[in-house]
Amino acid sequence: MPRVELNVQAPDFTLNDFNGNSVSLSDYKNKKNVMVVFNRGFF
Amino acid sequence: MAQLRRDYENFVKLDTEILVAGPENAEAFRKYWEKENLPFIGLPDPGHRVLKLYGQEVKLFKLGRLPAQMIIDKSGKVRFVHYGHSMMDIPENRELLDLLETQLTK
Repeated sequence: MPRVELNVQAPDFTLNDFNGNSVSLSDYKNKKNVMVVFNRGFF
Repeated sequence: MAQLRRDYENFVKLDTEILVAGPENAEAFRKYWEKENLPFIGLPDPGHRVLKLYGQEVKLFKLGRLPAQMIIDKSGKVRFVHYGHSMMDIPENRELLDLLETQLTK
């Protein structure tokens, strides 16, 4: 089972994508839902 | 990843962007994205900064070698979390799309 408090505000983060563009979670606020997938060394 | 690739258009229709974070460097991401023709935004995170952040601040995830997934709605709230127990333990797209369609389209 997920060990979760759902409906909490997601902490913002910023990372560069692999092309060097800065991507922040807050870029999507009020615009899109975001699904974040954490791969752990798949490829 | 193949599963998500297949349904990407359905996620887009439901106003949802997919971000994939992982420990590989940018070059490894680029090669993999080109090889698999992936439409997602790829975020190299060699230091596991985002996982650590979510582990520490909202206690959603811990570090390790298992996959994890979350959906954040437009207001910035976490609405779905899946913490895998094995590499094969990933939620069905149908479950994710249903949630987006029924609860998060507005």
